[in-house]
Amino acid sequence: MKKIEEMIRISIFEVFEKMFFIFLEPLDDENNEYDMEAAIRFEGAANGNVSIFLSTGVAETMVQNMLSLQEHEITTQSMEDCSKEAVNMICGNFLGKLNSKKVFHLSTPIFRKQPRDIELGKNACRMDFDSDAGRVGMMATLSD
Amino acid sequence: MSLNVMIVDDSNSMRAVIKKIVSISGFKMDQCVEAENGKEALAVLAGNWVDVILSDINMPVMNGFDLLVSLKKDNLFKDIPVIMITAESSEERMRDAFNLGVKGFIKKPFQPEEIKKILYEVVGMSDKGEYEEDRGDDKDFDF
Repeated sequence: MKKIEEMIRISIFEVFEKMFFIFLEPLDDENNEYDMEAAIRFEGAANGNVSIFLSTGVAETMVQNMLSLQEHEITTQSMEDCSKEAVNMICGNFLGKLNSKKVFHLSTPIFRKQPRDIELGKNACRMDFDSDAGRVGMMATLSD
Repeated sequence: MSLNVMIVDDSNSMRAVIKKIVSISGFKMDQCVEAENGKEALAVLAGNWVDVILSDINMPVMNGFDLLVSLKKDNLFKDIPVIMITAESSEERMRDAFNLGVKGFIKKPFQPEEIKKILYEVVGMSDKGEYEEDRGDDKDFDF
C-alpha cells in the first residue's frame, strides 16, 4: 500500500499544480473538517475508488484558477464541476502509474455537498494536505 | 480562413478551459461548438461544420470511442481530425484510439502548450499557408 500511496500522492500534486495552480503541503495530522467530496470508482486490472475532500476555500480557488474567474463569478455548480474533474484526473493519472499497459474503466464522478466520514477500511489509505487556499484530503481504497 | 472547433466533454469547466486555450493559441477561431457527450456531438455536427474535434473519452451516454467509430462510418465526418483529451492514459487505450484514426492524444492534467502544439500539428500543418502568420506568436497563457 505504501507504493500505491506514493503514486497517488504524486498524482494529486501533478493535478493540483498543473490544472489548478495550487501547491499542496503534506500534513501529518488528520483533518475531518471538509466541506465537500468528489468520488470515482475504477475497474480493470485493479478495482477500487478514490475520493477527494475539499474545504470551500480550496474549491473556490480551484474554480478561480482553472477558469480565470473572479470571486463573485464562482457558483456551487462550478465548484462541483471542478471537484469532479479533479478526482477524475487524479484517478486517471494514478492508474497510469499503477499499470500503464492495462485499460481501466472509470465511473462518472459523483459529488457530495456533505462529505462522508473518512473511515479507513482494508487496503485503504488517506492523506491530508494543506495549501494557501485551505485543506485537501484524499482516500483511496483497493478492492480485493 | 477561420477555424471551427468542436469541444466534447461532460465537464463544463473542462470545455471552458479548452475553449480558452484554443482561443489564445494563435488560431483564428470562427466558431466553437460544444457537446456534453458523443451523442450530443453527432447531433450538433448535423447542423455545424467543424475543422477539428477535441474530445474526452470517459463520458456518459456516448463515450469518445463510440463517437469516433460513428464519425469514421460517416462519409461526411470521417475526415474531421479528432484529438482526444482524456484522463485515461493506458497504452492500450492510446493504441486503440490511434488505430481508430485519432490524430492526437493529450493526457489530463495538461499544460496549455500541449494543446497548442498538437493543434498546430493536426490543423496547422495541413493548412500551412493559412495559419503560418499565427505561428511563432507565442502569447502568454494567463490563467
